[in-house]
Amino acid sequence: MKVKMLTGNEAIARGFYEAGGHVAASYPGSPTVEMLETIKKQYPEIYAEFSVNEKVALEVGIGASMTGARTLVSMKHVGVNVAADPLMTFTETKTKGGFVLMSGDDPGMASSQNEQDNRIFAKFANMPVLDPADSQEAKDFTMIGLEISERFEAPVMLRITSRLCHSRTKVVLSDRTEVPIKGFVKSPSDYGMIPPNTFDKQFHMRQRIEKLQSALDDLNINRYEPYDGADTLIITSGLPYQNLRELAPKAAVYKLGIVYPLPLDALRALASKFNQVVVIEEMTGFIEDQLWLAGIPCVGKTAFPFTGELDIEEIETGLRMLGVEMANVFLQVAEEASASEVEPLTPVMGRLPMFCAGCPHRPVFDILKKSKKTVIGDIGCYSMGILYPLEVLDSIISMGASLGMVKGMKKAERLMGINQPLVAVIGDGTFYHSGMTGLLNLLHQSDPTDNITILILNNGTTAMTGGQPNASSSPYGDGSDMNVDLPKLIEVMGFESVKVVDQFDYKAAKKTMEDAFKHEGIDIIMTTRPCALRFKIKEPHFAVDPSICIACRTCVKTNCPPIHMKHYEGFDKQKSSIDPSMCVGCSVCSQVCPVGAIKRS
Amino acid sequence: MNKTVNIIMAGVGGQGLVLMTDIISEVAFEAGYDVKTNDVVGLSQRGGKVWGSVRLGETIHSPNIAKGHADYLLALEPLEGLRWQEYLKPQGQAFINTAEIYPVFAIAEAAPYPHDFLDQFRKDIVVSAHDVLALCLELGTPKVVNVMMLGALAKQLPIDSAIWRKVIGESVPEKFFEENMKAFEKGMTLGSLT
Repeated sequence: MKVKMLTGNEAIARGFYEAGGHVAASYPGSPTVEMLETIKKQYPEIYAEFSVNEKVALEVGIGASMTGARTLVSMKHVGVNVAADPLMTFTETKTKGGFVLMSGDDPGMASSQNEQDNRIFAKFANMPVLDPADSQEAKDFTMIGLEISERFEAPVMLRITSRLCHSRTKVVLSDRTEVPIKGFVKSPSDYGMIPPNTFDKQFHMRQRIEKLQSALDDLNINRYEPYDGADTLIITSGLPYQNLRELAPKAAVYKLGIVYPLPLDALRALASKFNQVVVIEEMTGFIEDQLWLAGIPCVGKTAFPFTGELDIEEIETGLRMLGVEMANVFLQVAEEASASEVEPLTPVMGRLPMFCAGCPHRPVFDILKKSKKTVIGDIGCYSMGILYPLEVLDSIISMGASLGMVKGMKKAERLMGINQPLVAVIGDGTFYHSGMTGLLNLLHQSDPTDNITILILNNGTTAMTGGQPNASSSPYGDGSDMNVDLPKLIEVMGFESVKVVDQFDYKAAKKTMEDAFKHEGIDIIMTTRPCALRFKIKEPHFAVDPSICIACRTCVKTNCPPIHMKHYEGFDKQKSSIDPSMCVGCSVCSQVCPVGAIKRS
Repeated sequence: MNKTVNIIMAGVGGQGLVLMTDIISEVAFEAGYDVKTNDVVGLSQRGGKVWGSVRLGETIHSPNIAKGHADYLLALEPLEGLRWQEYLKPQGQAFINTAEIYPVFAIAEAAPYPHDFLDQFRKDIVVSAHDVLALCLELGTPKVVNVMMLGALAKQLPIDSAIWRKVIGESVPEKFFEENMKAFEKGMTLGSLT
């Protein structure tokens, strides 16, 4: 028996491999990125791709599944919104090749713009939902998910939370079982989803959930853990189950592996033997609501937070409130420990993320900050431009939204009789993902005097998620096979011209941007510098000559990790300094320095 | 080792926390323990605060460590050490790399960097603070800070150092093998200096 330490992401990739998986598609989004990367790196038997967006990834998956291939599509929770249109109709069809949709939910929003609970999405789409509690289950449930999908002809959601995606636990490995691809069989009434073909599909979706519900016992995916003399039954799943076990409650536990549909008859019978039923789940009361609807009284969100992760401490607090005894306690011990402290701890200075040393976004945001314009941001590393001390962006909503929003804002302002310059900032990856349609829409009913500047920060990669290739990567020597000429694409759409600028030529970039802000009409500017992190750019570092430095802080205000003010021997005033171990030699600080105090070493 | 060992790592995005959790978990796994980790929480590689945890013992359920229950804290940056010290149990040990990385608030001079960080550590924990970056530069590369910190941890755990050497050797780039081994050896001597 081979056992290995795997993250949740790696375990899902492994499960798909062992189950004979054929096609995997994804769009990179934390916390799921490493899943598809693992498949690409380790399992050449599987066709895997990062598609242009989640909708396309899901559609690639639909095509593969209809052809009878075992299919895995992965995305972060908000990606399912992008893929929702094909998903809500695909789910009507009778799934052929096992289809698992991995949704990386993010309770606590460690790296997301919202906290949506995709278990609800799955129920909305009439899909069963599996909810693993460690890497072993992540692997097992991927395999079970494919089987459920084929047996009940339903797409299946594998919902996993960010903590488990990045948690490493032991996993038992097996060999791959080859499964033949069945091939596409024409059946227009099954695959052509227009009425009247859709009418009987409503019944299919309902019946498959009912069939699965009555077959849950055989699947061996839920587990009852009795406790002698207990008056409380706790129902839980996922990581909260593991946190609960650390507390060793004196209660019976029903550990769910599948959270939709629930084994309601079994739970009803069991619940009647206890004084209280407690539901512990992160985010919404998804399980709790289902129990109440089935006439099973329970306590959930009145005792446990509705937002954030449910750590050991939150569960301990809730259980104490409900009078459930625990063999292990953590809060009490911590409280005693802190009581022994003579002095309270000093609050620690925060540490916000920032652009890396050498980041090509830095000069752009320095220029934007000085311009004081209204700037609509988008999703990517440049989203950090909304944070202190840059505070350049005025809005961030969702992938590609900046280009649609800037138009609406402009049209509303024109109705008010104003035409101030508006700026939209979007990266290359996000532009391909869902910015192109918004840009195209700007051609429609545009007033030639509408003052809009669109900045496309082309750094040749999908940077925020770790530097995955995208349609712009090839010219940057990434070896990727997509080689889209972005300015040409935009010009073909019908825009007059795209100004291409090297933002590390600070003066030229500043002039191009300022001219655009002044110019009435739509100006599109594309910057060209690649991501310093992805392409590991490291040139000789820069250094400050304190005898020339006038301590004006213009360089410091570019907000670069290696640059800060410090005391030099022989100087009264603090002068700027550059940490040579962090500087990658981008030259922006030396270009903004008004006195030439910063030179390359 | 019958009791569970709880280790927290903290640092700044880009300092290589994932590699550290990976190495510790592999070592513990090879030594026959049950292990669970949080590889990294936070925005890796973007200069924000990041942290991870490893728990090892006979049976581990959750990868999470409750406040006041960590045995060891490995902080790759002093402020991050301060940030996570409340997770240590009384008499828990903190290994601190004193090489400072300024957060944006200090860069922008909204507040001074607290160079007196050593005074702000709890009095009921054991603090071992070294400029690990400088020690690594003496070995010729800044890239082995994590492994030197692991050396300090390895000294405290009842796991054969041969297992550590094997796992580290397999985990680091080949061209830095020698430097990593030297860093590990040096790290093993750090804990006893306080």
